[in-house]
Amino acid sequence: MCMVKTQGLSRHYTFGSGNQVVALSDVNLTVASGEFISIMGPSGSGKSTLLNIVGCLDKPTAGDVYIDNVKIDYGNAGSLVQLHRQTIGFVFQGFNLISTMNALENVWYPMYFNKVPKPERIKRAEELLESVGLSNRALHLPSELSGGEQQRVAIARALANHPRLILADEPTGNIDSGTGKKIVDLMKKLNKEQGITFVVTTHDSVMANNADRVITITDGEIVD
Amino acid sequence: MIEAFLLAMRQLRTKKVRTLLILLGISVGVAAVVGVTSLGEGIRVNAVSEIEKSHDLTLIEVSPGVSNGNIILITESKVRAVREYGSVVAPYVKDAYVTPNKTYFEANGISAEYMDAKDLQLEAGMWFEEGTYQIVLGSDIGEKFAKIEGAEIGNAIDARIRLYGEEGRAIDKDITFMIAGRLKPTGTDTDDQAFIDMNIARELTGKDVYDGIMVKLDKSGQTPAARTAIEKLGLTCYSAQDEIDSVNKIMNAVTLVLAFFSGISLIVGGLMIINTMIVSVYERTHEIGITKAIGASELDIIRMFLSECIIIGVLGGILGDLLGVLFSILIDSVGRPMLVAQLGIADFEHLTVINIQILAAGFLISLVISVIAGIYPAWRGAKLDPVKALRQL
Ligand SMILES: Nc1ncnc2c1ncn2[C@@H]1O[C@H](COP(=O)(O)OP(=O)(O)OP(=O)(O)O)[C@@H](O)[C@H]1O
Ligand SMILES: [Mg+2]
Repeated sequence: MCMVKTQGLSRHYTFGSGNQVVALSDVNLTVASGEFISIMGPSGSGKSTLLNIVGCLDKPTAGDVYIDNVKIDYGNAGSLVQLHRQTIGFVFQGFNLISTMNALENVWYPMYFNKVPKPERIKRAEELLESVGLSNRALHLPSELSGGEQQRVAIARALANHPRLILADEPTGNIDSGTGKKIVDLMKKLNKEQGITFVVTTHDSVMANNADRVITITDGEIVD
Repeated sequence: MIEAFLLAMRQLRTKKVRTLLILLGISVGVAAVVGVTSLGEGIRVNAVSEIEKSHDLTLIEVSPGVSNGNIILITESKVRAVREYGSVVAPYVKDAYVTPNKTYFEANGISAEYMDAKDLQLEAGMWFEEGTYQIVLGSDIGEKFAKIEGAEIGNAIDARIRLYGEEGRAIDKDITFMIAGRLKPTGTDTDDQAFIDMNIARELTGKDVYDGIMVKLDKSGQTPAARTAIEKLGLTCYSAQDEIDSVNKIMNAVTLVLAFFSGISLIVGGLMIINTMIVSVYERTHEIGITKAIGASELDIIRMFLSECIIIGVLGGILGDLLGVLFSILIDSVGRPMLVAQLGIADFEHLTVINIQILAAGFLISLVISVIAGIYPAWRGAKLDPVKALRQL
């Protein structure tokens, strides 16, 4: 089973002067269902760009993305919203919680958009916080949590709508390596126990060492 | 949907000062409109009640009609037709007379029904006896006669009426009336009229039609229907409602213009909301990026901001109505004594009137302006590119 497939994926940024920045060039990538892959590469190599396109937050200049063997139609906003609500969960690098909402609310927020009834939503958010070991911090605002705790809340939130694919952009980027290891272990556990596919960009060798497969990208191209 | 409002409420609570300021901005505008409208409405209500005091709303005055250039006369058969619509139907004739001293006066030839319909009350003397040349004078004309002609009750008064013969030749007829009584002053045109027996009047002029009919109804609510029915007969109708209608029309126009100009301050309130919302969208750019990534559609984002605007609109409307009522009380308590003193008019109860329509309008204006002001910022938020939004901290 193939969770993600990209075909000839390119992303160019054109500036007014006619200059072009090639962020991605002819990327062909296949991620099997249940796989944990890690994308490495120097800064500016196009990791975030790739993740954003696969996650339907950005449109490719050329090429196609298939999720669950279905070609993504970037023109169909409704289908993209459905993917965000049901199939894909995101974890970003730092500052990715909503600062005016406490941990519990941050976790149930995706279910709110997915129209899950409130009691059910709160129950699941509590369970998810428990599973990431933060039930005692449920009512704390992000500003009252450490970087590692915030990232665990973000993972709990990514899990909210039972996604089958989690895209994480440098989830350990802003935290020390000890805490980073806990995050990696948590993700590995979810991957093993629930079969969730993970695509994780990282500069962190611990993360890479734990991945089923590491893909290296330089100047927008995959190098083997 | 309720939850969208709860979430929006929280957003507004996190920026209390800002929210309070826009609420004030919009509610001051609403208050100005409510206050000014209550003044216009107050003036209208006072004017209408003045008319109601001096006019009988259950009375329709019927006069000959005009249709396609033909005059439709009030014949016996028309009178019979009209009788169906009123509880008292009093046809009368009306002629102009002149005294040797050149005092012109109008004498209405009337029957007992007319006295009943118009509720004529004697002040002195008594009513004319049927079949005689006795005359009863309205209070003003009575005074005039006493002054100019030296004619009091019990005196005779000479009068001449000009009639036109077959060939259009003028024939003057001289009559001597005997003043039988004088009416109480009414403040209406009755004061300037004289009254004689209808049969005598018709005999004098040889008229076989009437000059008008007084139609009296039981309740003022029956006036419009009766009026329409009589107008269908081709006759012209007048009732005090006509005056009330024209006062209403004028005052509504005046109030609308005043409300419009006082409402200009609402534009400022609207601009404040636009500005605050744009700032809010800008501040929450990163949050909007996350929100989109976790499954919010563009509509969800629009709903998120518009919910805030609806709350502002509702609170602004309530606050604006409250301030408007205060403003209206202020206008009443300051303006009324001033008007009474300046114009020397009799004191009246209230200068301003607040009613549910004014309050509802104030509330709606606030809501509509808030929502309209929120559309552009909300749309901007919805259209944010999530990738760019996420990059921004
Ligand atoms: N909005 C944009 N406009 C122009 N160029 C852009 C834009 N976004 C990204 N780029 C360029 O695309 C390239 C890839 O950027 P990307 O963010 O994907 O790199 P990255 O591998 O995630 O880097 P890092 O490890 O620092 O996060 C970079 O050269 C960047 O300058
Ligand atoms: Mg990046």
